[in-house]
Amino acid sequence: MQRLKEFIVNSRVWRSFFRHGWPDNPLDRSLVMTTNIFFHLHPVKVNRKSLKWSYSFGLGIIAAIVFGVLTVTGILLMFYYAPTVERAYGYILTLQTQVPFGQLLRNMHRWGAHLMVIVVVFHMARVFYTGAYKPPREFNWVVGVILLLMTLGASFTGYLLPWDQLAYWAITVGTSVAGYAPGLGPTARITLLGGPEVGQEALTRFYALHIMIIPAAIALITSLHIWRVRKDGGLAAQDAPDELDEGENNG
Amino acid sequence: MAEKTKPESFSPETAPTKTYSLVELVKAPTTMADRGPDNTIFAFPAVALIELLLTLGVIVVLLGMSLAVNAPLEEIANPNTTTDPAKAPWYFMGLQEMLEHGHPTLMAVLLPTLMVLFVISIPYLDNDRTGSGVWFTSARGKRITLYTALYALIVMPTYIFLDSTFPPRELLRGRLPDFLLQTIIPAVVMGVLVLLPLFVLFVITKKPTPREIMLVLFTMLFVSAIVFTLTGFLFRGPGFKLYWPWDMPGGYSPWDNL
Repeated sequence: MQRLKEFIVNSRVWRSFFRHGWPDNPLDRSLVMTTNIFFHLHPVKVNRKSLKWSYSFGLGIIAAIVFGVLTVTGILLMFYYAPTVERAYGYILTLQTQVPFGQLLRNMHRWGAHLMVIVVVFHMARVFYTGAYKPPREFNWVVGVILLLMTLGASFTGYLLPWDQLAYWAITVGTSVAGYAPGLGPTARITLLGGPEVGQEALTRFYALHIMIIPAAIALITSLHIWRVRKDGGLAAQDAPDELDEGENNG
Repeated sequence: MAEKTKPESFSPETAPTKTYSLVELVKAPTTMADRGPDNTIFAFPAVALIELLLTLGVIVVLLGMSLAVNAPLEEIANPNTTTDPAKAPWYFMGLQEMLEHGHPTLMAVLLPTLMVLFVISIPYLDNDRTGSGVWFTSARGKRITLYTALYALIVMPTYIFLDSTFPPRELLRGRLPDFLLQTIIPAVVMGVLVLLPLFVLFVITKKPTPREIMLVLFTMLFVSAIVFTLTGFLFRGPGFKLYWPWDMPGGYSPWDNL
């Protein structure tokens, strides 16, 4: 067994995929992180304190995972949908009644969207209450707030797409708020909706925003967000005084 | 890896002669037994495993939820038939609830904008590095957060209830100018309610740290946002009137709006 593993891991085919050996030693464990595109956002080594569940509750990672689930289910939903006023609602009915697992797919996308909003909000609260916004992490806090707003934008634009009464009136009420802004408010509202009322233009714009512009921006800015976490020295947990130091005067 | 041979200059015979003397005793943490110098471990496989487990957990939770409850779908959109109540998505219900308590420009535009600007500028208002990475920073921070949250949990629902039951904007209409009733009075009331715990903090502690000021303000905004969102989402029924969520007239259920 051991020899088989070594044969596979040292074979030319394996080595053409992974440029490191079996990760059971410090060198190869470092190389996993530095030579793998999916891992390279991670640091090679992490502080034990930052892994403590009761510190972060894993909320940032969970938010990223939910975003991944939403991307996959969202792409699958696109196979059974077209953003036209005449046909959108019919497509949702067909999806729910005739497409295998269609209802389940839509449910996962819907509940995933709600879950993402909740997780992102609690992630922000966690970062605030642990003081993790303090220098040198100020800018990453700003990036995080922008991501929170974009999450709301992604959810809001997706809300219109089923084109049922719930969607129509929620977007009508939601966008009417923008009209109250002094100065640019009414213009902003008409730009968003493509007209004075929620109609085909609004559906087209919300669809483009929902499936392309906002997700692409979230993916890009999330990369920046995670990269900055590493560049700013990992989670702030390690700034906390050591348990050994507590109660001692270590001024 | 090939073993490196130590350069000869490191042998005791050739080392420069130097004497050492004890200069000072420093009070410092004891030796870190069984830990690396900075208490770190390799991210692989520990972090990779955590991420894998979280991924599986998220999928299991979402699948379970999706098998149990179907996403809502009402009749096809009809611009001629307004639903009653017509509600925004739940995460904007805080804003819609705010609209009930003052002029739209103040409640739905100015105050939310101010809130977002405040949240963005938190790290620039409080840039003291101490206390980073510790929940609530200190025992006092924990108490400040707790009392502020309790205050907000009592005062904000009371305000919403009183302002909806005896709306001054309706009761005093015509007797006072609209601008005063719709904008100035609600702004002052909101301002006093939000800033009162900050005032108390200054009175009690004399000189609070920037972090403690942020704890009060953020907790105030965070808990109020939750109260307003839940009120709008759960407690508003037909005619956007206040009801108990389980006692809505006309068979309306707020949960159908998800």
